[in-house]
Order: sequence, then structure tokens, then C-alpha cells
Amino acid sequence: MTFEEAQEELEQIVQRLETGETPLDEALKLWQRGEELYRFCRDRLDRAEGKIEELASRAEAAKP
Amino acid sequence: MKVEAIEYGDRKVYSVGAFNRGVSSWLARLPTVWVEGEVTELRRSDRWASVFFTLKDPQDGSCLGVSIARGQFDALRLELTDGDRVHAFGRPELFEARGEFRLRALSLERFGLGDHLAALERLKTKLAAEGLFAAERKRPLPLLPGRVGLVTGNDAAAKRDVLTAITARFPPANVLVAETYVQGPRAAGAVVEALRSLCGEGVDVIVVARGGGSFEDLLPFSDERLVRAVADCAVPVVSAVGHEQDIPLCDLAADVRASTPSVAGRLVVPDLAQLLERLDRSRAGLERGTRRSLERERQRLDRSHDRLRRAPPLLVERGRARLEQTAGRLRALSPQATLERGYAIVRAQDEIVRSGSEVAPGERVDVELSEGGFGARVEETR
Repeated sequence: MTFEEAQEELEQIVQRLETGETPLDEALKLWQRGEELYRFCRDRLDRAEGKIEELASRAEAAKP
Repeated sequence: MKVEAIEYGDRKVYSVGAFNRGVSSWLARLPTVWVEGEVTELRRSDRWASVFFTLKDPQDGSCLGVSIARGQFDALRLELTDGDRVHAFGRPELFEARGEFRLRALSLERFGLGDHLAALERLKTKLAAEGLFAAERKRPLPLLPGRVGLVTGNDAAAKRDVLTAITARFPPANVLVAETYVQGPRAAGAVVEALRSLCGEGVDVIVVARGGGSFEDLLPFSDERLVRAVADCAVPVVSAVGHEQDIPLCDLAADVRASTPSVAGRLVVPDLAQLLERLDRSRAGLERGTRRSLERERQRLDRSHDRLRRAPPLLVERGRARLEQTAGRLRALSPQATLERGYAIVRAQDEIVRSGSEVAPGERVDVELSEGGFGARVEETR
């Protein structure tokens, strides 16, 4: 699953829940799924290390 | 041509003439080609059969001697002066008498900026006809790339602008930079190679950034190989080459064209603060929504409970009403109502008297009225 897919599903779940029309059993299941998706998205953001690397070896080889 | 060697024991030795002839005949087998360069050191004399000049590569200064038949040269009326850009059509040749290598030109064409533009326009038309620039080919950029590839020259400004824009918007970004030539004859090939390498390293999107430059500096970015490599790249490409007014063909083939390297940087990563806010809003909505469902179910349950509790009194009430109704109907049918209208019931020996013949004069009868009654004696019968 990509970040976009997770975020989109999460937002759809919120939309469904916010109508308040969802039967309780289903609402609880949706909530659980939503929390999973939220954690997935947060993980993706937290896991990014923020590094800038040079593709140095190849670039050097290309120089005269 | 057969080249004869003199043999000294096991050593084959060529005379200078034989060597030059041999090389010359080998060169003569090479195909004719077009060579582009700037004219310098033009030498022409009515006493010579050929006109001589040197073609210079404006990028790296490489030089190539050129000769062309004088009659041919004069007929072209090119009026060439030093620095003019030409395309020379010919084949390599060795001037055997002096062992000098040069291009023997068969034809010569002036090739200026206008010709460059025309050639570019032809290429653009051809690639457009192939659909290389079509809108339906453009791919959306990933919202959150795991790794961003950056192709740039050691031209510090463009590289710095992209990296600054990326890290300002999304500090945890991972960027893989491929530094390559971004001008000169090697640039197109180097950029193609950089794109390939970055794809091999698993980047999710690639920025090709180069600062402004002269029309010729930017020409590699309209090179057919480079343009095709951008269009065929395995991941989406954002192109930020030159200034706003320059539109090299690679900008047209890219999935997204950015007006400057900074804009390109902002395009390839999401705004972290906004992303977090959106996520947190979703999470709050998740709780709010679930609580709303819970609340609604609770209310429904409460309503059912209320109705359940109200049910027995309601039943009694209903029973009572029904009883009253029945009683009313019962009362309507009783003789009391008839007596109230002024009728009387006459009984003799507890039997209701319906006819005069049932009693005799002097007989005692009981008369019942709406309220109370009295006893009486029959005076006469009829």
C-alpha cells in the first residue's frame, strides 16, 4: 500500500463515520482500520531519514 | 592499394610514402559525414586548387583541418569569415605528401542560430507526432516519494535551489543526487546515463535541474536521445531546465515542467506540516465519527427502553377505555333508557304485562318508573 492509498482510505473511513449512520459494530471495525491506516502513514513519515546522498561513484566515472 | 614493405630479417618496414598511402587508402573507406564547427584560418588563393580552413569545436576547442575544391567553394558564395558556424559534408583524408590528416569537404553549409532553431523545430514536430509530449502520457507525481533522484550539473545554484526547496518543505526527504555534465557534447549522454542509474537505485521521482544558459548551452536538453530517455523514464520526471522563456524539448517530454529548480523541489515532496495536520484531522474525525455512531446507537437503545417501560400502563389504559365503551353500549341497551323517556313497566305477579287481557279489574299490579315506582289496582281492562 502506498502512502496515498492509505491516506485516501483513512479519509473515506472518516467520512463514512462522520455521517453517524454506521451501525456500531461496523463503526468499531472502521475505527480500528482507520487507526491502523493512521499508524501506517505516521510510520512512513517517521521512518524517512532525511539524507542527501551523491551518486558519486558513477558521476566520477563519467568525468574525464 | 597494395602497400609494399621491405623486409629486414623478420622486421617489416614501410617507407613513409607507403605508410601514408596505406593509411590514406584505409581512411578512404570511411563514410562521408557532416561535421559542425566554427571556421578559422581561412586560406584561399587563386593559385591553389583547394581552399583551406580550420574547423574549431566551440565547446572544447578541438580543431580539424578542412580542404575543399576552390571551384566548389567559390560557387557556394558563402562569404565566410572567422567564427562563422558551418556544417561541412565530406570524408577524412590524409594529405599524403605531408602526412596531414584533414576533412576533404564536398559541400559546405552555413549553420547559424536560425538553422539550429529550424532543426529543433523539425525534431519537435517529429517527436510530437509520435505523441511523446501528449498530455495522456503525463504521470502524476507520487505524494510521498521514498527517495527523490536529482540530475544536475556541478552548477551549484540549481542543485542548491532544488535541495533547499525540498528540505524546507519536507525535512525528512531522501535525495540521491547524480552530478553530470549539463552542457557540451557529452551532456546528453551523461544525463541519459544519470536517469538510468537513478532508476536503478530505486528512486520514485526524478528532478532534472539546470540553471539558465545560452541557447547553445541548453541544446543538449533538446537532444533526441535525452528527450526520449525522459519520456521513457521508469519513474515520473520533473524538468526544470533554463529559465521560464526557454523551453527545451526535455521540458515538453517530462511529466511535469517546473519554471525554476526551486519550484521543481517543491513539486516533488509534500509539505510535511500540512501532511501531519491532515493526518491528525483524519484521526480526530475517526474518533468523533465512532463516538457519533456510539451516541446514536445509545439513543436508539434508550428510546426502545422507554417504549418498553411505557407499554404496561398503556395496555391498562387501553383496556379501561375499551371497557367503558362496552359499558356504554350495554347501558344503551338496558330498559333504564326507555323508562327515562317516560315509559313504565307494569308487572303482575312478577310477570311483565304486555296486554289488557292479562289482568282483571281489582288485580294488584306493580308499576316501575325511571325513578322508583308504585303499586296499583286495575280499575278496568280494555
